[in-house]
Order: sequence, then C-alpha cells, then structure tokens
Amino acid sequence: MDELLLSKVRLGVVAALLNYDWVAFSALARCVDATAGNLGAHLLKLVDAGYVDEEKSFANRRPLTRYRLTQRGRGAFAAHVSQLQALLKAAR
Amino acid sequence: MDRGLSASQARDHIEMVDRILAESQPRLCSGGEFFVVWGFISAYVTVLSELVVRAALPKPVLWTIPVVLVAGAVFSIVRGAQTRRRIARTSLVQREFFNVLWLTLGLALVVDVAAFRIFPGLASAAIWSVAEAIVLLFIGMHGNRRAQLAGALVVVSLVAANFLSANLSAYVLAAGMLAGYAGFGLSELAARD
Repeated sequence: MDELLLSKVRLGVVAALLNYDWVAFSALARCVDATAGNLGAHLLKLVDAGYVDEEKSFANRRPLTRYRLTQRGRGAFAAHVSQLQALLKAAR
Repeated sequence: MDRGLSASQARDHIEMVDRILAESQPRLCSGGEFFVVWGFISAYVTVLSELVVRAALPKPVLWTIPVVLVAGAVFSIVRGAQTRRRIARTSLVQREFFNVLWLTLGLALVVDVAAFRIFPGLASAAIWSVAEAIVLLFIGMHGNRRAQLAGALVVVSLVAANFLSANLSAYVLAAGMLAGYAGFGLSELAARD
C-alpha cells in the first residue's frame, strides 16, 4: 500500500481533491475536519511527494492558498483504494 | 500488501473516501453575468446590423459594434480572472465548461469578425445562435433544467428565423439570444442570490 496514503487525513485530502481543479486550504480543512496546523503538515508531505500542487496568491488583499491533485497523486490514490478494496475482499 | 492497516481500518478508510466523494459532487456554476452580457451584445449586433441593412439607421453606427465587442471581451477576461481567484473550489466539470464557453464563443467571434464575407448578415447572427445553443445545452447536459429550456429556446428561434418572413428573421434570432442566453444568465443570477 501507499505509505503516504495510510494516514486518514492525507487520504481524505486526496479524495477531496479528486473531482476538483483547485481547492482552497479552508475548503479542504472543512472537508476533512482537520485543524489548520495538522492539515498544513499533511499537505506539506503530499506536496513534497508530488501528489499535490500548491498555489499561493491573494484574493481581496488576503492570502489564498489552493491545492490541486497531480497525475501522480491521482494514480497513487487509485492504486491505494483498489488495494484497500482487495484487502477487504480477502478478509471476508 | 496489507502492511500497516487491518481490515477494519481499511473499511473505515473506504467509508471515509465514499463520504467525501459523495459530499463533493461538483455542481456546475455557470456565472450568470457572462450570459447576460453576451446575450445582450449578440442581440444588439444582430438588430443593429439589420436596421442598417434596411436603411433605418445610418452606416456609421456600425462602428459601435467593435466597441461593444471589445468591451464585452474585456469584461469577460477581467470578471473571469476575479472569479477564478475568489472561488474556493473549481471542479473539473467547471473547468471543462469554461473551456467549452471560451472555445465556442471565441470561435463564433473569430468567424463573425474575420469571415464576414463567407457568413454575411443573418448567417453571422445564426452562428452566434448556434454557439450560444451549444453552451446552454452543454450546461443542460449536467442537469441544469433552466439551461436545457434556454438552449431549446435558442434552437427554436434559429428554426423559426429560417421559416418566418425574411423581414423578421434578424429580430427572431435576437429574441432567442435575449430570452435564451441573457434570460438564462438572469435566472442564474437570481438563483445564486
């Protein structure tokens, strides 16, 4: 299995990005129900691994950080979820 | 293969992924103001050209057309950039929609401006109607009933313009642009508020 996606928060982040182009940090925090500090640390790992792209900008003079799933992240998510499903099937 | 996770943890993770995917089903947000602006611009250009052809207005008023088109393009670019920065989430469907919108209307604009000898007068207006119908029906395909209705209205205006008296064709096309395209934009703005 993908070591990086064994974390529930990181797996949730990747799932939350799956149907979207860019997602703001605040929207991600609501989606996976994580604190800002916790989510920031997990996102850093996903960015470092090349699973997620980060974009920093300003909107109405306020900083805005957005994230997007990369092709590598998309592939890793698909492989990881199919392995989770295989594990469940084997356990039945 | 199952290093680090038990079957119950795997089930827990799968259930969380299912919940997040169910909650994040993207809704197509079309940006009503673009439809209002371009619906009015296309109807304005159609009616103005017709009035000039029928000598109801002097030819120099045709110079307002490039001014209006440039103003519409500037508005669309600025507003598009503002919207892109402001929204918290942009879905893949949304990105696909904006691609369809820019490509379809951009091509119609290029054809109308640069191929006016091949598509003179009403043919040029009809191309606008076809482009607008494609955009509306694309949105309609993603479950927006108002867009389905508006797209059908534009197509009906196109067919009606073909079969009605030639004196009425331009006005029927313009009515379709106003009621279908601009009307859809107004209904989207009302729904958003």
